[in-house]
Amino acid sequence: MDGLTPRWRTSLIWSWTAAMVVFMYLPGLCLLLASMTSSRYFIFPINKWGFAWWEKTFASLEIHQLFRTSLLIAFCVTVIAVTIALFGALAFARYDWKGRSIYQKIVLLPIFFPQSVLGLSLLLWFNALGLTMSWQTAVFAHLVWIVPVCTLVISIQVYSFDPALEEAAFDLGATKWQVFKEVTLPVLFPGIFSGALFAFLLSWGNFPLSLYTTGADTTIPEFLYAKMVAGYTPGVPVLGTVSTVGAATLLLCGYAIILLVRRRRAASEHSET
Amino acid sequence: MNGRSPILQLRNLTKTFGNFTAVKDINLDITEGEFFTIVGPSGSGKTTMLRMLTGMESATSGDILLRGTRINDLPANKRPTCMVFQSLALFPHRTVGQNIEFSLKIKNIAPDVRKARALQLMDQLRLPQDYYGKSVTKCSGGERQRVALARALAYDPDILFFDEPLSAIDYKLRKTLEKELKDIHRETGKTFIYITHSLEEAMVMSDRIGVMRAGQLVQVGSPQQIYGAPETKFVSEFVGDVNVMAVRAGGAATVHAAEFNIDFVSPSVPAGFAAGHLVVRPESLRFLSAHNEAQNCLEGRLYNEYVLGSRIQYQVRVNDHVFIVEKLRQQAFTGKLDDNVLIGWDAKDSILVTD
Repeated sequence: MDGLTPRWRTSLIWSWTAAMVVFMYLPGLCLLLASMTSSRYFIFPINKWGFAWWEKTFASLEIHQLFRTSLLIAFCVTVIAVTIALFGALAFARYDWKGRSIYQKIVLLPIFFPQSVLGLSLLLWFNALGLTMSWQTAVFAHLVWIVPVCTLVISIQVYSFDPALEEAAFDLGATKWQVFKEVTLPVLFPGIFSGALFAFLLSWGNFPLSLYTTGADTTIPEFLYAKMVAGYTPGVPVLGTVSTVGAATLLLCGYAIILLVRRRRAASEHSET
Repeated sequence: MNGRSPILQLRNLTKTFGNFTAVKDINLDITEGEFFTIVGPSGSGKTTMLRMLTGMESATSGDILLRGTRINDLPANKRPTCMVFQSLALFPHRTVGQNIEFSLKIKNIAPDVRKARALQLMDQLRLPQDYYGKSVTKCSGGERQRVALARALAYDPDILFFDEPLSAIDYKLRKTLEKELKDIHRETGKTFIYITHSLEEAMVMSDRIGVMRAGQLVQVGSPQQIYGAPETKFVSEFVGDVNVMAVRAGGAATVHAAEFNIDFVSPSVPAGFAAGHLVVRPESLRFLSAHNEAQNCLEGRLYNEYVLGSRIQYQVRVNDHVFIVEKLRQQAFTGKLDDNVLIGWDAKDSILVTD
């Protein structure tokens, strides 16, 4: 009996882990399966396999436009969010100033707003200001929610930053700008990079904010939703799969870049010795 | 050092934060090429003072003169001074070589000249040449100290400041680095200004020591003077163990210790002295076999014994007062614990201090 207990424990751990993995990835797999049908409707089990809808999707000009809009929004959001969040994070975690604790709370508050409510209230504001809804207003809406997240992500890196590094560089003759360029920015780079990835992915997959604020422009999540409500074709799972795989690829690329930078640093270390 | 001109002069230097005065009315001349150490407990204002000297903090009032020129308003990156930080503040994303060359890169000096200078400094500081491309995060504590010092020396400053860089280092390595630092001071001939809370560390390295308390310099002098002739109880208690007895004025060369109801023969009592303390270092106290073997004598009970290595320390209780007696190992005392013993000292081995 005693000998069985650890074996039981191991098998329980493994089956639990396997159950979790299946639970998390089965929907994604189903999405992929649903896309690989040649029939017009969503039927399980699939009776006619084929990649016809993949070809159709990739050939569609409408889909190209969706990608362009989503990418454009996500790209603008990333650049602006990282810039604002970097300086926001320095104020958040690096400098001690009067009102900092209130600032910290105000900055983080938008994360807790329900996004659909936030989207609606932004729409009302944009209307009140007489703005036409387009991808630009969507960028603004995304920023309201993503800048706080991005600030938080970069702040984690800033908290571990030794302010003496900046003083040391300044003491060694660097100007304020050189200090920022040579020390602050490179030391904080891992945090900035994760912040940028977060910003991109959160914007790329965002539905509730886009729904209210894109106007005539349409992003991929919006299109998927609309097609699911009315006019489903297997093009929906195709696009869903592409969008998911694209996001995952971006994450992996980010990871690969970090690995590459580390390896190159290690290599240059080696060559110089 | 005699006859050399002052490199740094502080005139009524004061720094206040709101109602709190961190540094109060400091006047000090530091000589060219001197190793000067500022010692004080935490909160005594020594770090604030150093930050004013480096230009990272502005002075509230008073002047900082570098070779006669007022530099109060010169920012840190324009001052010909450099600091080794308590945390060392090595750039973690850079190699040993890049750290050392930082100031040269800022000055746009050619890469091969920079490298030659870095390698030369590494050689001087006993860092292996193949460390040039090594990441600083992979260096040991002692190596990091040397990199930080090399980086500061590469800037070629007139004055090098040190903000307790050895405080986080273990005892044995610290002793080695203290001696190395003193060697570097001799080799470079630069002015070193060092701050620490350890007077022991200060005495090993310094030409002169300034003791700080509550924002003020209470005594400035050579290590010998600070140890052998402290002017106040605070300074006397700052290094090692010390025996301090509260006394008040008696005769011309005697003081009265109410605690023991006895008159001690003391060094000459200055005019106007009313009350103060008589200080006797543990190594100046000795065990006696008869009352008349020393000018002053007390009877007590041998309470404890500590082996310190080359020395042995004894605790002797006289009434409720614990005296500390130190002897070299080879002259160890043969008395046993709880024995009644006589301890004594001569007037010349005691110091009369105020407060």
